[in-house]
Amino acid sequence: MFKIALRSVLLHKLRLTLTAVAIILGVAFVSGTFVFTDSMKASFDDLFEDVNSQVDFYVRGTSEFGSSAATLEESIVDSIRSIDGLDVVVPSVDGIAQLVDKAGEPIGGAGPPTLGFSYLPGGEGLSPLDIRQGDSWPTEAGQVVIDAFAAEANELSVGDVIDVITPIGVEPFEIVGIATFGEADNLLGATLAVFEFEEAQRVFDMEEMISSVSLTVGGGVDRTLLQASIADLLPDQVEIVTAEEQTDDELSEVDEGIGFINTILLVIAGVAVFVGAFIIQNTFRIIVAQRTKELAMLRAVGATGRQVTFMVGLEALIVALVASAVGIGVGVLLAMGIKAAFTAFGFGFPGGPLTIRARTIIVGMAVGVIVTLISALLPARKASKIPPIAALRDVATSAKDLSRRLVAGLIVTSLGVVLLAVGLLLDLENAISMVGFGALLTFVGVSILAPLFARAFARTAGKPLPRFAGTIGRLAQENAMRKPRRTAATASSLMIGVALVSVIAVFSASAKAGVAEVFEDDFTTDFQVALDGFSDPRFTGLSPALTDDLRQLDELSVVARMRIGEYRVTGDSAEKFLLGVDGGIDQVVRLEIVEGSFADFRDGAALLFEDEAELLGVGAGDSITIEVPSGAMLDLDIAAVFAGDALGAPLVVTMPTYVEHLTFRLDRFIFALKSPDVTESEARAAVDAVAGPYPNANVTNTDELIGDIEEQIDSLLNLLVVLLGFAILIALLGIVNTLVLSVSERKREIGLLRAVGTTRKQVKQMIRWESVLIAVFGGVLGLVVGTTLGVATVAAVGQGLKVAIPSGQLITYVVAAALGGVIAAIPPSRAAAKTNVLDAIAYE
Amino acid sequence: MSTAAARVAGATKVFGEGEASVTALDDLTVEFEQGKFTAIMGPSGSGKSTLLHCIAGLDTLTAGSALIGEVNLGELNEKDLTLLRREKVGFIFQAFNLIPTLDAAENITLPIDIAGGDPDQTWFDTVVDTIGITDRLSHRPSELSGGQQQRVAAARALVSRPAIVFADEPSGNLDSKSGAELLGFMRHAVDEFGQTIVMVTHDPNGAAYADRIVFLADGRLVGELLDPTADQVFEHLKSMGD
Repeated sequence: MFKIALRSVLLHKLRLTLTAVAIILGVAFVSGTFVFTDSMKASFDDLFEDVNSQVDFYVRGTSEFGSSAATLEESIVDSIRSIDGLDVVVPSVDGIAQLVDKAGEPIGGAGPPTLGFSYLPGGEGLSPLDIRQGDSWPTEAGQVVIDAFAAEANELSVGDVIDVITPIGVEPFEIVGIATFGEADNLLGATLAVFEFEEAQRVFDMEEMISSVSLTVGGGVDRTLLQASIADLLPDQVEIVTAEEQTDDELSEVDEGIGFINTILLVIAGVAVFVGAFIIQNTFRIIVAQRTKELAMLRAVGATGRQVTFMVGLEALIVALVASAVGIGVGVLLAMGIKAAFTAFGFGFPGGPLTIRARTIIVGMAVGVIVTLISALLPARKASKIPPIAALRDVATSAKDLSRRLVAGLIVTSLGVVLLAVGLLLDLENAISMVGFGALLTFVGVSILAPLFARAFARTAGKPLPRFAGTIGRLAQENAMRKPRRTAATASSLMIGVALVSVIAVFSASAKAGVAEVFEDDFTTDFQVALDGFSDPRFTGLSPALTDDLRQLDELSVVARMRIGEYRVTGDSAEKFLLGVDGGIDQVVRLEIVEGSFADFRDGAALLFEDEAELLGVGAGDSITIEVPSGAMLDLDIAAVFAGDALGAPLVVTMPTYVEHLTFRLDRFIFALKSPDVTESEARAAVDAVAGPYPNANVTNTDELIGDIEEQIDSLLNLLVVLLGFAILIALLGIVNTLVLSVSERKREIGLLRAVGTTRKQVKQMIRWESVLIAVFGGVLGLVVGTTLGVATVAAVGQGLKVAIPSGQLITYVVAAALGGVIAAIPPSRAAAKTNVLDAIAYE
Repeated sequence: MSTAAARVAGATKVFGEGEASVTALDDLTVEFEQGKFTAIMGPSGSGKSTLLHCIAGLDTLTAGSALIGEVNLGELNEKDLTLLRREKVGFIFQAFNLIPTLDAAENITLPIDIAGGDPDQTWFDTVVDTIGITDRLSHRPSELSGGQQQRVAAARALVSRPAIVFADEPSGNLDSKSGAELLGFMRHAVDEFGQTIVMVTHDPNGAAYADRIVFLADGRLVGELLDPTADQVFEHLKSMGD
């Protein structure tokens, strides 16, 4: 048996190649993702260990959660210095500082943070930064050192003067050096700005304050005792940690930062494997069907059904082992490609070799082998059950399993839908995996049902074909209809990709519709000032100086602003956003107060969103205790409960309360109303003039703001569509597979067509139309499933979304699928056109 | 003698190279008359199928020329050969003559449809009627008997009024009654419609339907019979064997 299996593999190179390609791609995605993320993690491990190796202890503010660190009184440095046994004591100040390029556009800020650091002489050895160009750290006010990536990408060099946005405003600084973060040009896309120590305190609005202190210990000192004596000195919410602890904390922050990349890549890899499994299974089914006679012959000469199944399984195993190994190799190349792409897009990673862990190889091999074996054994078992004589006589399979297919398909589909609904509607901890598994089952269910529609689809959708492509079109239509199961299985793999992009399209259209609705209904502002482009509110913001400037304007009657922070309710680990507001937020936003009064909203009081109030079981007049990132507990009196969606955060406090307890110093939004005695354009001109010098400030009226947000949603979702493009590519490969096998199966027919005068071009056309029909079938299935899932998701998520179906975009996807079909038809149509007429019509 | 519908002159076909090469046609010259039914006979390996393939434009000669009418096939490229087959030539093969996804009528008009032409309905009806498959036109090949399938193939070969029809063992897979019907129909087409037919066969009874039989052996012309009877064919084959 082993011999027969091995020979069979080697004899059928085409078969081998087509199956192998599908396995290789799936495995490559999985192993590539692992290699990439492992390498990334390993290099960060090295980097941070390296960075912190010179330091023994850090004194820092406690930060229980959230992204902004607590600050310390600068006076603490002197009390630490008073302790014997310390070698170096270097305080540092961190904050947010965004660089502005020569054209006046802010650099970065779209995602990764724009970091600012202080520099103090004596701390060179302790700094994670290395100077690459212009060997000077900033030693006086007005100087800055920036990261190498920002410098290169924006053609900045030592001696240039650039604007830097800081909490106190926008000021020019002279670049005195270009720094790297270890070997990396930057840290995960974060931009760096280093200032002289006192300058840093000034620009970060931290006079007399510092962020942390780095300590090194002299020789022969008992570290434990020393740590304890320093700890005694420190006030509440300030702690001393070892360099190792600091490294671990930094690494877990990095892990969090790159976690989303990891997750997205793994999801994409999962989709790729899932689509790949469809193709592998379909390929094996066709192959086994084509070999039914051969297998029956083996049965006829005495092989048992089990032996036949075993043989096919063995063949599959050989292919799977080879292809999975190749796939892992391709995965390593893929990882290098991803790394290069990330670097090119400005997400700098520290250097270091690729990390290939045993887990990567084991998982990669397991995925390849298991998926292939299951795909091969199912059809093989079925083939082995056909009585040998029936197989030799070529009896067509009965239609009786149609009703069974219908039942099975409906069961699986409904199961998937139920899981989806549960995941979407109930507030479960592992909702995401439930939704994912539900979607997966739905896809499988629909693919089981798909053969039932394949014939009807080809008949209906293919109707115009004979009219404009004549007999060739008719043949293509018939060919697409003759093996509905094959057509359906091939189309199903494409369905998955199209469905996912359709979900995204529906979601983004609904988000856009929701945004428009929220802004039109819930805001009463004339102008908004927001950050330019997409940005993480925790890492960047508008300089508060801008609000101060706007408040000087006579043309504006109200200038309200919002600042974002994080909090959590005691006993509940979920971190939520809170807002600090001032300047008459009730005049620019429809709060829809349902309980209490806005008049009671003063320092130490809070506005609470009604869902949150319900969750906590409190109402106006009660008080709640929240925890802020520094670990401090904060008692707040609930002034009012509001129902409006406009603010988008469950808890609102006054700006003085915010400033007292949170460390973030940049504003998120400014909302303004014009004075009644000026025209809108006069007010706009005044606002524009004030905001002009703030490069990251984007002034809009409501319509413009909606347009901007729609653009941001589009660009974010387009990125996902591009990533899912891989799944669609794999599915197109599946069409290639199916058609190449079909062409070899229909060799005689094609030969006959050629003999009676069909030109090569016409043969190619015939294959092309068949391919287009399959692709459009997959596209339409995907569209239907995706739109349904999308609408369901939108309905379930609800808040801020309004169901919208972007029909134009969805039709574009089907057209794109059809074009994909044309491309996928290239290899099989070439093979068909090359069919040798004499071979094809030869008979024994 | 009337003019030749097709002919080969000095036709040589060698398969393979060097030691392993096989000469299938060896400097063969033969003509096929217009409006006549010619049979090609010969033992296995005599080159009769190769001759048919080369003169029908399905294969190319190593040396010599093959002509259909006045067209020299050697001067045509792949595409022109295809168009020539479509317009000037009809085929009946031993098996796999029909496209399984098309019904009988569609199979019959296939060459015309591919060419984008309109079938001549009167002629179509005449052919279908003569061939006796009028009531089978909407059936697919899988619903037809072997004899009916071959008759559909014959109708397809005739319906585009080709200059010449090539038949390769058309009755080879049929029982004797169906075979006789098919050959009788082909004879009829020559007599009534003036169709030119060239048929390869190794069945003496089938060959007896022809006006003329050419005998091949080792790629050469080794004999000829005019207006043969089955007995004469048997005799001739026997004498060849001696």
